[in-house]
Amino acid sequence: MRELVEEVRAGSVRAASRLITLLEDNPSSVPELLLHSRDWPQVDLIVGITGAPGVGKSSLVDRLVAEWRAFRPDWRLAVVAVDPSSVFTGGAVLGDRIRMMAHANDPQVFIRSLANRGHLGGLTLGIRGAIRVLGLLGCRVVLLETVGVGQSEVEVSTVSDITVVVLAPGHGDSIQMIKAGILETGDIFAINKADREGSERLTAELQATLKFTTPRVHGLPPQVLKVSAARSTGVAALRVAIEERAAKLSALRAETRSGAEQQELREFLLESSRRRVESILERPGVLEDLLKRLAKSDADLAAITSELLTRAGTGTDTD
Amino acid sequence: MGRGRILIAKPGLDGHDRGAKYVAHLLRDAGYEVIYTGIRRSPEQIVNSAIQEDVRLIGLSLLSGAHNVLFRRVIDLLREKGAEDIMVFGGGTIPPKDVPGLEAMGIKAVFTPGTPAEAILSTVSKLLGENRSAGAS
Repeated sequence: MRELVEEVRAGSVRAASRLITLLEDNPSSVPELLLHSRDWPQVDLIVGITGAPGVGKSSLVDRLVAEWRAFRPDWRLAVVAVDPSSVFTGGAVLGDRIRMMAHANDPQVFIRSLANRGHLGGLTLGIRGAIRVLGLLGCRVVLLETVGVGQSEVEVSTVSDITVVVLAPGHGDSIQMIKAGILETGDIFAINKADREGSERLTAELQATLKFTTPRVHGLPPQVLKVSAARSTGVAALRVAIEERAAKLSALRAETRSGAEQQELREFLLESSRRRVESILERPGVLEDLLKRLAKSDADLAAITSELLTRAGTGTDTD
Repeated sequence: MGRGRILIAKPGLDGHDRGAKYVAHLLRDAGYEVIYTGIRRSPEQIVNSAIQEDVRLIGLSLLSGAHNVLFRRVIDLLREKGAEDIMVFGGGTIPPKDVPGLEAMGIKAVFTPGTPAEAILSTVSKLLGENRSAGAS
């Protein structure tokens, strides 16, 4: 891995894409990478793009990339687009890139599709590692596109500096607006397909809802912008809004990112603890035995939990 | 861990991607992660995407008759960019007489119309397996 890291630092796209694969295949190596890469060049701005399937996230990302390339021609950009893995086969068709092929031959744009591999939350386990690698490659901005989300995949807001929630007319009435979930995570709301019927009403409903929402980030109220990725309207204003907001929040960025690191460590520790306990429970006869003891009132659940944690903790009982 | 990443691409000007989508779907159901890049792509776009996506295999689908030129360009570009370890297979309306020439230029397998799904899957699995053991030795 160390060799790959040096190649990425020297600007090798191939090495960067390989390193991302390595992290993706071994997500448990990510927390360590994060700890050992604090002195690497970091991405300046991580923009999360989230929203329901079919609202136009990929098309909007494509237009935003074009916009940034035009206004910041010397900046290297990256897109990481996550699509779902099949729960049944583990396979996936990753199709976000289709909308972004205009940038395929631009050496300043790196685009990577990732499958979520069963990870719930809208992203994938190795995501923070991938972003660190892109920083090392010299990317200034990373656009992070989530899977098409439902109502509760809010993880993107813990990874991104700015979260853009993309909405489109025709996706539900005003009650959807007051449910908890992704609508609480947006710094900026982009109403896509603004040329279509219903976008005025959607904008009005959203604004009415947001009036009663406590700003998530330090007093900055969320913004609502109308865009059309298909017609390339409103995209420049969206980029400006993202950059201005990021500038206002820059003082808080270190805090946000260290919060994100703590969150990453927390997830990793919980996951590895879970695996340890699971490896005990997976042994033949263990659950059967526990059920018998419970039935005989030999032990209660709390006692069994403590026992399991001790067994997992000593490590003698785990693989 | 993923079973392997595969890029399915359509070089050139024909816009018929039912075959490409069928194969993408087939591979997905077999547990692979498939990146599909859509119709009318240049060899440069395809090779750049394959490198950024870190795939081990590219499947080219082509119905226009330009396979001899476009497949070669993909192979050449992979070599130019130091990515010749990414393997390429092809499919579409390709006359049997062209297959030996394509194989000689480095295309690992060619699937002509009517190829059974099982044949595609077993070839793909063999290609990925072969490469794995070669890498390990």
